[in-house]
Amino acid sequence: MNRVAVTGTGIVSAIGADVAAFTAALRAGRTGIVATPDGLGAPVTDWSFPEAVAGASTPLRRRALRSAGRSPRPVRVAVAAAVQAWTAARLTDFPIPGDRVGVVVAGHNLTARYVHDLRPGWEENPAYLPARFALHALDTDHVGTLSEVFDATGEGCTVGGASASGNVGVVHATRLVASGTVDCCLLVGALCELTPLHRRAFAVLGALAEPTSDPGRACRPFDRDRSGFVPGEAAAALVLESTASATRRGVPPRAVVAGHALALDGDRSAAPNLDGEIRVIRAALAAAGLAPTDVDYVNAHATASRRGDEVEAAALVAALGPGVDRAFVNSTKALTGHCLGAAGVVEAVATVAQLGGGFVHPTPNLDDPVEPRLRFVGPVARPADLRYALSNGFGFGGINSAVVLARTPDEG
Amino acid sequence: MTVFEVVRDSLLEVVPEVDPDAVTPGRTLADLGCTSIDRAEIVTLSMERLGVVVPITEFRDVNDLDTIVELLGRHV
Repeated sequence: MNRVAVTGTGIVSAIGADVAAFTAALRAGRTGIVATPDGLGAPVTDWSFPEAVAGASTPLRRRALRSAGRSPRPVRVAVAAAVQAWTAARLTDFPIPGDRVGVVVAGHNLTARYVHDLRPGWEENPAYLPARFALHALDTDHVGTLSEVFDATGEGCTVGGASASGNVGVVHATRLVASGTVDCCLLVGALCELTPLHRRAFAVLGALAEPTSDPGRACRPFDRDRSGFVPGEAAAALVLESTASATRRGVPPRAVVAGHALALDGDRSAAPNLDGEIRVIRAALAAAGLAPTDVDYVNAHATASRRGDEVEAAALVAALGPGVDRAFVNSTKALTGHCLGAAGVVEAVATVAQLGGGFVHPTPNLDDPVEPRLRFVGPVARPADLRYALSNGFGFGGINSAVVLARTPDEG
Repeated sequence: MTVFEVVRDSLLEVVPEVDPDAVTPGRTLADLGCTSIDRAEIVTLSMERLGVVVPITEFRDVNDLDTIVELLGRHV
């Protein structure tokens, strides 16, 4: 099995439209949550696709504009995040043959808002339905577009796991590289644009944060006063590559995927399951060859859901055991909102930034922790020498996931 | 705006890399680097802007600008 490194990261989010801006926002604990016409959210605003890809190499920029210039917004944002990761991995300067590069897109129901917004025009005159609708209405339009932009012709597909989709993507892409199916895999966690129907549906389940006069205080992961999650928009990208390929190309790994685990609860409901969560955390650590006391940092799933955070806190206490008082715990969703299908990839980018940057980011609004035994990062960032990080993701339908990232190949 | 101008502007929006001066009567869409899906998009956009509806089957096998302009023009 090949060892799998992260050689590039990219992100377009409410708190930063590139990795440098995103990392600065993490350090500052700056939240992207605001009041929007649809309700509380962390939207990507003031963003232009041509500007976002302006810094790419000329051939790459031209292909991006030609392939995705008229694509639905989630695809444009995905391409922009991918261009960042591709450039950071220096794949333009030191290329890999296209048929050795795979594409995995994490997330599903990615076109719901696109279809929803076309409905009024359709009611008025069906003849003006955009001619590319048959292509644009497919989630896999992301895959085809990314494949075209980067000339990536190895294996590719979308993968889904509700809010665990991002981690499912990390696992699938890691397996493609570990097995030698490809040398390199471009993974994108795709931006999820909620429709008013989806928002309403989450609210009906009691999953959404209650409206408040101070949007910045609405999302409160692990706080006793939390009321639910706030939807966030982001696309995030990782270039995952065999360490052998990275060495051949002379590109230093930013982190290594040391272990991972996926497991189901046998429960189609929205309820979290303590045993299922403990199981994947333990399995991911075991796959990485780590003891619970080796974990330096946990990027928790922590959406600020009432039941979800409580169960995750209990799962961490159980799975970390004697390591419970040494591993830092925070929630990136307090800053980015819950990026749903993209969340696991957003949080992988955040984790790589913290491993490399030697810090742990704040969890704003955590005034009264639900579990006093956990070592939560408080209102300000802390310097931290991190070697091993755990990133959790739990989805509706009993889909549990955990990924372990290590700072360098020697430590995985 | 003439029908030709509407079609030209729609074409340049769908395939922005085309040189605007190259979009002249007598050219085919294939000459200009357009795929069949680009053609469908150009025709749909042009119909919407002209406020006309032409059965999509009338454009089958049509690949030159003059015929597209003529078909659209009959309905304006």
